[in-house]
Amino acid sequence: MSDYVVEISDVRREYQTGEVPTVALAGVSLKVQRGEFVAIVGPSGSGKSTLMNLIGCLDRPTSGTVKISGKDISTLDDNELTALRSRAIGFVFQQFQLLPLTSAVENVAAPLLYQGLRPREAHKRAAEMLTRLGLGERLDFDRGRLSGGQQQRVAISRALVTNPDLVLADEPTGALDTSSGAAVMEVFKEMNAEGRTIVLITHDLDVAAAAKRRIYIRDGLIERDEADSMAGAR
Amino acid sequence: MNLWLTFRLSLSRILAAKVRSALTMLGIIIGVGAVVALTAVGQGAEQGIDSSLASLGANQITVSATSPTGLEEKDAAAIAEIEGVLKTSTEVRTQGTIAYGSESLGASIIGVSPSYEDLGNPEVAIGSFLPTSPGLQNSRTIVVSARGADRLDFTPQTIGETVRVNGVAFTVVGVLDDADGFGSGVNVYITQESARSLFSKSPYLSVIRIQAESQEAVSPVEYRVESFLRYSKNVRDDEDATFSIFNQAALQDTIRTVTGTLGILITGIAGISLVVGGIGIMNIMLVSVRERTREIGVRRAIGAKQSQILTQFLMEAVVLSTLGGLIGLTIGQLASYGFSILGGWDFFIDPTTVFVALGFSALVGVVFGVWPARTAAKLQPVDALRFE
Repeated sequence: MSDYVVEISDVRREYQTGEVPTVALAGVSLKVQRGEFVAIVGPSGSGKSTLMNLIGCLDRPTSGTVKISGKDISTLDDNELTALRSRAIGFVFQQFQLLPLTSAVENVAAPLLYQGLRPREAHKRAAEMLTRLGLGERLDFDRGRLSGGQQQRVAISRALVTNPDLVLADEPTGALDTSSGAAVMEVFKEMNAEGRTIVLITHDLDVAAAAKRRIYIRDGLIERDEADSMAGAR
Repeated sequence: MNLWLTFRLSLSRILAAKVRSALTMLGIIIGVGAVVALTAVGQGAEQGIDSSLASLGANQITVSATSPTGLEEKDAAAIAEIEGVLKTSTEVRTQGTIAYGSESLGASIIGVSPSYEDLGNPEVAIGSFLPTSPGLQNSRTIVVSARGADRLDFTPQTIGETVRVNGVAFTVVGVLDDADGFGSGVNVYITQESARSLFSKSPYLSVIRIQAESQEAVSPVEYRVESFLRYSKNVRDDEDATFSIFNQAALQDTIRTVTGTLGILITGIAGISLVVGGIGIMNIMLVSVRERTREIGVRRAIGAKQSQILTQFLMEAVVLSTLGGLIGLTIGQLASYGFSILGGWDFFIDPTTVFVALGFSALVGVVFGVWPARTAAKLQPVDALRFE
């Protein structure tokens, strides 16, 4: 298998809204290696959300190729795309997006259940993951009884429980206060230190500073791609 | 995601919005409840009619004279020999007056042959019916209907006492429980021999009752009897006869046709109410899909296949409709229990009703849940996640 988790070459993505197509991505190429911690930074409307959707196997490019874990997503049908997403990607959303009427452990177990795991095994693995993230005492709490920071840790547990090739986080601190946000960023750093590949989408330069590599995007094009000089030292 | 978990999730969702769920299920509840109650009423009524017809005696044909000379003793004797006839009884009827103590009233005096007790099934409330042994056929004994006994101020001690029929003394041996039939007259029963010797010396008969050998024999016997009577009385097929033939099975068939029509009507009502209920469920499910678009997006993002989303929403619709069916069934059974007390018939829970009610409720959920569930499953993950 290729050592690149994400390989994007010359991707355009246009939306047909009305008569004139809106260009969200105007020819983007980038590669993310296994174990990298990348922030994709840009203001709203820059095309970073479109890029995230493509990396997350939620959308397909208008032209160019997107390969996730070595698979060209343009050639996959909905079921294959779902299977790839389920195996390769762990999502963390800005608004946490915990499932309603569902406890912490059931939320984390959900991706495993969708993969077809037996409920008992799925719940066991979900409980282990939540315990590792310090939520062992709150397994049966639903989202109404968890703080924002706790909800986001549940969401991160849910992203990690399938052991994905890539964790894709969309503004993960956007709905959190500063200290909770910092705590969540610490979790991402630890995950990366354990060898996980992380792609973070943000408009916040302070958040982006936590990553080892920052890709600045504006008007559908990559403006700058800078690696942290300290990356090797860590 | 296995079905049991999907079911539990659906149930918790339905319980989380109780009022909304209850309103959604209302159509199904009312539909199923009404149909279950109506079906029970129909079955109870049919059961009542059957048992009152059965009390008239099984496999019977009644031939009544429509003119005073319409039937004769020799006809009865000939009919008794017709193939398929098990036994016959005969009646002569005259009008008269019955008096007891200071009371007197007009009555139908019915002189019955000994075999009447087998065919007419008189229900004796007090005492006994008329003697059947051949030696006692000229005895002056009488049996009075319940209404007659009431009007004449009988007491239990009246059994054994004397009443006067057209001035002739008769000993009361019994009082019947049966109704007198239609009209206000009362029936009194005496032996046919007494009737002939005292009141009606002609060889004519009012009624011949015929019991066929079996249920299958009823129609052929009816045909043979009619043919024979028309032939012996020289009445052509297109002429009005001097007699009329009443087939109890035919009446039973008519009643069954009526209850069958009622059944079709009830089924029609059931169908309409289930469709209306189903549309209510579909409506709410479509709203639900829209409200939960983001949740659907999240579920797709964390690895739910289209088929798994479809199953989830379909399950929810089916659980809603089946739960509605269950509640409707319970209400319907309670109502039919109430009706059974009012109507005086037996209450029983018909397993067929239970299975049909729940089965059709579930089917409604499937039929009307498919479209919303497909809408949910076909949502593009990107659009669903972006949905505000």
